[in-house]
Amino acid sequence: MSNPVKVQPDLKFVQELQAVGGESLKKCYQCATCSVVCPLSPQDDPYPRKEMVWAQWGLKDRLVNDIDIWLCHNCGTCSDLCPRGAKPGDLLGALRNMAYRNLAAPKAIGKWMSSSKYLPLLVAIPAVLWLVIWVIRAAQLGTAFPLFEADGHSWKIAEQGAVVFGGLFPGDFTIDPIFVLTFFTMIGIFVAAVRKLLASFADLPQVYVLGQKERPGMLAAFIDTIKYEVLRNSQIEECGDDPKDAQRFKGHLLIMYSFIALMIVTGIVFVAHWGGYLLMWLGAPEGLIDFVMLTGHTPMSLVNPVKLLANLGFFAGILGLIWLTGRRMSLDKAKQGSSWYDWYLLTIIWVIFLSGFGAQVFRLMGQQFIAYPTYYVHLVAVWMLFAYLPWSKLGHLVYRTAALAYAKKIGRIPMGPRNK
Amino acid sequence: MAEKLGVYICGGCDIAKSLDVEGLAEFVKNGRHQSLCPVVKTNSVLCSPEGKAEIEADIEAEGLDGVVVCACSPRVKWDVFEFGATQVNRVNLREQCVWTFSDDPDKENLLDSMAKDYVNMGIVYLNKSSVPEPEVEKCSETIMVLGGGFTGLNAALEVAKAGKDVVLVEKEAELGGKARDMYKSFPLTYPHTALQETGLDKLVAAVNSNDKITVKTSATLEKLHGAPGQYTALVNGEELSIGAVILATGWEPGNSKYLAPLGYGQFKNVVTTSEFEKMAKNGGIKRPSDSKAPKSVAFILDVEKFMADVDYSQRAVCEPPEELPCDENKDGEEECETFVYEDKESARHLAYSSEISSLVALKQAAYVREDPEAMAYVFYDHMMVPGVNERFYKVAQDDPGVMLSKARITSIKEGSGGSLVISAKNTLLGENVEILADMVVLPTAIVPVTAHEPTMNFDYRQGPAFPDLELFDGFADSNYICFPYETRRTGVYAAGCVRQPMPMNLAQDDAAGAALKAIQCVVSADHGVAVHPRSGDRSYPVFNFVRCTQCKRCTEECPFGALDADEKGTPMPNPTRCRRCGTCMGACPERVIGFDDYNIDQMGSAIKQVQVPDNMDEGGPRVIILACENDAYPALDMAAFRGHSWSPYVRVLPVRCLGSVNAIWVADAMSKGVDGVMLLGCKYGDDYQCHFMKGSELCNRRKENIAESLNRLGVEPERVEQYEVAIDEYDKVPGMIEDFMTNVVAKFGPNPFKGY
Repeated sequence: MSNPVKVQPDLKFVQELQAVGGESLKKCYQCATCSVVCPLSPQDDPYPRKEMVWAQWGLKDRLVNDIDIWLCHNCGTCSDLCPRGAKPGDLLGALRNMAYRNLAAPKAIGKWMSSSKYLPLLVAIPAVLWLVIWVIRAAQLGTAFPLFEADGHSWKIAEQGAVVFGGLFPGDFTIDPIFVLTFFTMIGIFVAAVRKLLASFADLPQVYVLGQKERPGMLAAFIDTIKYEVLRNSQIEECGDDPKDAQRFKGHLLIMYSFIALMIVTGIVFVAHWGGYLLMWLGAPEGLIDFVMLTGHTPMSLVNPVKLLANLGFFAGILGLIWLTGRRMSLDKAKQGSSWYDWYLLTIIWVIFLSGFGAQVFRLMGQQFIAYPTYYVHLVAVWMLFAYLPWSKLGHLVYRTAALAYAKKIGRIPMGPRNK
Repeated sequence: MAEKLGVYICGGCDIAKSLDVEGLAEFVKNGRHQSLCPVVKTNSVLCSPEGKAEIEADIEAEGLDGVVVCACSPRVKWDVFEFGATQVNRVNLREQCVWTFSDDPDKENLLDSMAKDYVNMGIVYLNKSSVPEPEVEKCSETIMVLGGGFTGLNAALEVAKAGKDVVLVEKEAELGGKARDMYKSFPLTYPHTALQETGLDKLVAAVNSNDKITVKTSATLEKLHGAPGQYTALVNGEELSIGAVILATGWEPGNSKYLAPLGYGQFKNVVTTSEFEKMAKNGGIKRPSDSKAPKSVAFILDVEKFMADVDYSQRAVCEPPEELPCDENKDGEEECETFVYEDKESARHLAYSSEISSLVALKQAAYVREDPEAMAYVFYDHMMVPGVNERFYKVAQDDPGVMLSKARITSIKEGSGGSLVISAKNTLLGENVEILADMVVLPTAIVPVTAHEPTMNFDYRQGPAFPDLELFDGFADSNYICFPYETRRTGVYAAGCVRQPMPMNLAQDDAAGAALKAIQCVVSADHGVAVHPRSGDRSYPVFNFVRCTQCKRCTEECPFGALDADEKGTPMPNPTRCRRCGTCMGACPERVIGFDDYNIDQMGSAIKQVQVPDNMDEGGPRVIILACENDAYPALDMAAFRGHSWSPYVRVLPVRCLGSVNAIWVADAMSKGVDGVMLLGCKYGDDYQCHFMKGSELCNRRKENIAESLNRLGVEPERVEQYEVAIDEYDKVPGMIEDFMTNVVAKFGPNPFKGY
């Protein structure tokens, strides 16, 4: 007989969970249908029933240290089949939302990200930042909507020139430093958050698998996770088996690869641009410098392979967005809800994609009065995506990957591909 | 006596396909009862308007005083074959002769001889029957409602609404009963989601202002003398003329000693739901230790700890009639003991109250939640919220401040500052847990008032209380799922928590039901007919006192205490208490009791009509089945409807109850050479299904005496056997007959009396 566990139900915690998307959790009457039907849940100590009990009891400690919330890929099968409409899938989603809110520092941002009422504040930060730059540059250039023509490696105002975003927001002094700073700050925040996350799993039991000679190290588990769960979305593919779930799998995969494509594009431009400067500083031959600089020179020709990749990424992303948004909108609200975190992420990606593509189109059309504001919106949205990443649903990219790798390390889930 | 009979044989429903109907008519016309039967006819569809008109015309023309309808079961078309004052007997040729006939290829004319037996039995039975003429005395139609609580108030209003006078007797100084202490009730009406007011004040006002209702507070029923329609009730020394009584005395909270295992009485902050309710009603919930409002309250529904000493296997069993309270005026050697009413409360009442306890815990959790920062924990082993109350459970479940969990409570200890540590096992967490609460609330058992005291104070030969209440742990219930308000005393109808633990909406329904039963009772008494379950029956037991030996068997065995006795022990019938089961007739060794239309001679003569072949090998055996007409006989009919069949050697006779079976009938059958007698009746014992409670049980006990007599005669006692049949066991009945035919008749061979 084990020692009794002291438990103390926490009304505030239950209410907090309900507020971040688990509003139906109290309806559960513990039949365990959810754990039985879940396509991903391990056989031992399966989720989400135990999480439902913990949530009803308000056992905060257990829930915030629970690795299983990251094993769940939210297909909603449990919620669909729940006889009480308790929506266990939503509860796990809510717990993840709570993790987004609490893992990364400073927690104030987590609080702002948790509710739509703080959205104006979140938008205002980059909006003011980019507006200030815009105003300063307009003062320097004498116009807020300038047209440019090429002047060596830089731009100069020209009456009959073209819309050049880099002319108004020079990469070297504005965009690149701001984003580099933002990016690395975000990485730093993530590192701290992941350390905190992994520390919370420290008390989890290790599972010994018969016949297994040695357990995988964290690195091996991480590579395995990248290979299957990340690059193939293998778990989402297994998660749920109706057409809606297949649509979600394809949509998610498309958006993910779209982001990867756009990351490659950004990487090429960044590396080529700053690589050119580096070569110049090293005193490399003029021809090499020109070639490298030209590779990353924007705006690019539409037939430039890099530009082609960017636009391909755009269309793939839009298609993925349509599928994912369409699915989310068609969800039966009685079965599966959508939280503010879900809508925030979908919206921000929509804004980024549409404003990015819109900026390109308006630029080519030479409509500076529309092109610059659209680009401005794009900058605001992209900054929001990156700057708030550790507290947003997109944070799962990092947290889930870390948690899955850790789960493999301790044997909670197996290494390698899993049988369907 | 019906001496001019019309015999009508129907050929419909496939009867004529198997049976030579004309031949049967010829047999009656030329048979031994031809003098009794001036009219013998066949008809292809006797129940048709033409068929009925023909019978009516014959009654008119020939002056028939009896009609023998040889067609379908008496359980069907009874409304068709009804001819006013002319007596009718039904011969069940269809279900129990033709449809269920299974031929024995070695023998001839089995179906014919069966039909002839049945028709002869039917003719003789009717010939010996007379029309009962009940004497009618003037009756009081005033209904006394005992108990002025929620149920009693509703019952009084229901009776008044139906136009009868009511005397409402309440022992407290004020009306309202337990509902007076209630803060709110759990949902009683749609949508069954919110607490509601009890509405008691309005109810009391309505009763007080109703001029048909006389309210007597601070009053008790000291004695109830007489019989339904003619009761004299002694209330606070005043004699009242009463027709019938509604028993709505309700309940008392269970003895708190049973709650000691979880710290009641030891820790200040452990209270009962009953105490908690009073707190809520009178100024809010306060911890007894420091009078502060608790921030967490745990409700315990798991009664395992309280029930540790309860052993269900050692239950009260049906004992032979108890020693009767003896007559103090009687001079005899035996010393008179004073009547002692054994208290029937036990920890089991906590379990019986589980449904109410569950609802009360959910309700009181809502009281706790009136403070938005306070939490309520409900620990249950079984959350019992049947039916629509599930909706209320869901509401509690949805409240973030109400934590519900299955748990077995292992202990409750006192922590710091008067708070309590609740230890539980088998929780949903799968672990043993400890949880801290400011207060613990234990369930309140609903113990009926009748568990503690006789309440009714009947002035009856069988004593002042309801008999056998130990079977129901004191609840005034007679285990009648079909007849919920009946008690073992005709004229007294129980309603509300004195009958079973129930919420207020059901108590309200109960009050209406019992009110209607009470009214039916006074009206029936006024018309001289039975109330229940043979509603409208005009027959009543007739005593031939000349031959009575004052053995008192009938007065002791009557399940309903209908018979009082004079000083000598001569039975004094009270027809309005009687339910016409005939248990007295079955009991009487001198055979002095009978009904005009159901008596010893009538049944015995019918049995003797069975033609028993002298040689069993040639003609086959014969077996008489005496079947209880309430369950066994319909089961046989249903078996017929479902295509079952049974031995062609049995002859079925319906009886009112196995309790009415007199040993002489078995002797009659045996002396005729019948090879066996099957007694088909209801289940008896603690969970009896007998319509007359004790009938099948008494029959079983008497059977042992019969066996003794048979042994003396050299007849194997196994030839008489009693079987228990429920009405829905039609699929088993043919098997029972088969079993009797092979294991008794075939085994023991022919009755040694055969051929005498």
